Amino acid sequence: MKPSITIGKSELRIDAKDKVTGKAVYPSDIYLDNMVYGYTIRSTMPHAEIKVDKIEALAYPGVIAVFTAEDVTGENHHGVLFKDHEVFCSKKVRRVGEPIAFVVADTMDTARKAAKLVKVAYNELPAVLDPREAMKENSPKVHGDSNIIYHYKLRTGDIEEAFQKCEVVVENTYESSMVDHAFLQPEAGVAYIEEDGTVTIVTATQYPHYDREEVAEALGLPHNKIKILTSAVGGAFGGREDITVQIHLALAALKLGRPVKTTYTREESFQAHSKRHPLYMKYKTGALKDGTLYAMEAEIIGDSGAHASWAINVLRKAGVHAAGPYCIPNIKIDSYAVYTNNPFTGAMRGFGAAQVPMAHEQQIDEIARRLNINPIEIRLKNCFKVGSLTATGQTLEESVPLTDTIIKAAKEIGYEFSYDSNEEVQP
Amino acid sequence: MKKRGKGIGSIFYGTGYGNGFPDVSNACAELKADGKIYVYAGATEVGQGAKTALSQIAAEAAGVKLDKVVLVHEDTSKTPDSGTAAASRQTYNTGNGIRIACEQLKQEILSIAKEALGTNTTMGIKINNDMLEVKGLPDKKISLQELYIEAEKMGKTLRVDKAFVAHTMKMDDETGQGAPYWPYTFATYCVEVEVDTDTGKVDVLKAVCAQDVGRAVNPMLVEGQMEGGFAMGMSWALYEDLGLSNGKIKNDNFSKYIIPTSLDMPEIKNIIVEDPESTAPFGAKGIGEPVMIPAMPAILNAIYDAVGIRITKLPASQQEIVRLIQEKENQQ
Repeated sequence: MKPSITIGKSELRIDAKDKVTGKAVYPSDIYLDNMVYGYTIRSTMPHAEIKVDKIEALAYPGVIAVFTAEDVTGENHHGVLFKDHEVFCSKKVRRVGEPIAFVVADTMDTARKAAKLVKVAYNELPAVLDPREAMKENSPKVHGDSNIIYHYKLRTGDIEEAFQKCEVVVENTYESSMVDHAFLQPEAGVAYIEEDGTVTIVTATQYPHYDREEVAEALGLPHNKIKILTSAVGGAFGGREDITVQIHLALAALKLGRPVKTTYTREESFQAHSKRHPLYMKYKTGALKDGTLYAMEAEIIGDSGAHASWAINVLRKAGVHAAGPYCIPNIKIDSYAVYTNNPFTGAMRGFGAAQVPMAHEQQIDEIARRLNINPIEIRLKNCFKVGSLTATGQTLEESVPLTDTIIKAAKEIGYEFSYDSNEEVQP
Repeated sequence: MKKRGKGIGSIFYGTGYGNGFPDVSNACAELKADGKIYVYAGATEVGQGAKTALSQIAAEAAGVKLDKVVLVHEDTSKTPDSGTAAASRQTYNTGNGIRIACEQLKQEILSIAKEALGTNTTMGIKINNDMLEVKGLPDKKISLQELYIEAEKMGKTLRVDKAFVAHTMKMDDETGQGAPYWPYTFATYCVEVEVDTDTGKVDVLKAVCAQDVGRAVNPMLVEGQMEGGFAMGMSWALYEDLGLSNGKIKNDNFSKYIIPTSLDMPEIKNIIVEDPESTAPFGAKGIGEPVMIPAMPAILNAIYDAVGIRITKLPASQQEIVRLIQEKENQQ
């Protein structure tokens, strides 16, 4: 084989020097002539009707504008799957932290001070904060008539019959937590109008072309009048998939004809972007006497918070991966994505498939313990190999070195186990 | 008392959007007057190393050294849509788009070189850094910069636009059966922990991370992802707590929302497992997400091995561990 030119070589990161020496430009590093600063006013209630009075704030020295729902030039919405975020809340807030207004002033400090003068009157509504409660018929509704956004069903084999044949059946309920991406760089951005009228937004984002669509729709402008420039990005992990600063900045720049900048504090950043879906996972797993995994059943409920974001894809991915990397012939899985009035959840590294191993890996260990089988050997016996069928009935045709990863990691940490390297591939 | 235990976590992970959602990465490759290959793709460098890995793929496919490639990816008015920097998809999906575009550009460069150097076939030409040489007659050559001028004279633009579309199919609505993702990435992490039964403090002493990568485009970047992924998974397992109450986040800065420091990190042994995937660019699969997933379950299993308690609610905080240990003692 021809030796490679660069593939397989630990080349120095192309962006390393700029980042290490501080030359890389993040959005908060940008200062333009005639630039003004925006601060976002956010909901303090999980569920309430609102009325906004901005008269006093507008009179504050240094304030240039206060933008609310009525100022949005296009559609007052955005969202990756459903348009269930408002650019600014019009009548209701559905979570703490939802944007209500954007105060623009000659300094960031003035914008913050003036924000306190924007009067938001809340008429509090009953909130639903647990997705299991939210699924019930009589629960408060976040959007529309039902809080259930999505239900994924996986059915293969016959679990009723299969559980009866099992030597051991382990049942447990697991709750994974809602967490933050904790990326280093809080959201920031600058928007300005180019000479030909193009609205340009410089920001740290994961998907610039998608941001362009969202901004275009909210501003009521064609795509080719919007330009996204991606600055250096200080980590993302899924937390920069949904819109945060982009539309507010673009709208303000468009209306004012001046460059507009915002930089979130860490506290605001926690409120502004999505979180990881906490999953409530009820698991029942059964194995035959020899340690063969034979049946599993799971009900998985994911808290989407006040917006759908990627909930459908995340709970689908949780369902597809719920059985773990093991061949199990009889499976029934139901996973649900549910609205609540909690902070919204969305994309985060692992995307539904990161939560389910909390359950399937503890289940398989518990089965091994009860059958008095070594935890490494039970994995090697059941794990995917070339030719294995996944829970969705997909044949893994190539590049399935799971066995290799188990043996290498287990040996290195000091597990003792035996393994027949000629063991047949499981169907 | 301090007790030690070992734990293992194994996972698989389907990369790409999945379930038939159109998963397209557009890419464009162009030879410019400076003799460099400019690659245009709307793929974001979020810290994962895409800028470097995608440039390496471009260089390999075009047959030039890494410093002859310029990746332009920061401007929607100049780059085609290459999809999101998520779903562990940029190396595989956009990497494939770039590979296809650069391979095609290479063929077009060779065709011009064939005309310019007077060979019968492009097989008679080899690329040696930024020079195109006649095989067996290395003194008969033309540089990429000179070749650009030759192409201009012929009225030819050396620019190729390509798209890679990933294989993904919608599953059956009633049974969830189907082929939602392609390819899958696999990983197993093992850890050793020490649990203080009085304070509930868990120290992760050692981690071994064995990660399937298909093929490592850049082993150092892969290891960086593995260590960062481990830190993130460990943090989720043991520390992170938003303090959510009545829909409000109480722990909204890093003095209250605890993530690990370098002192909390264990010794990590990284094992890169290579088993090239035939549909991938030079065999490389996505690893951005899989690298964080096995850490949490491995730590939870190690806690059980150490003190015999099952963590069914995250995080496995000190208070929770003390509570579970006491609960267990009371039952005995």
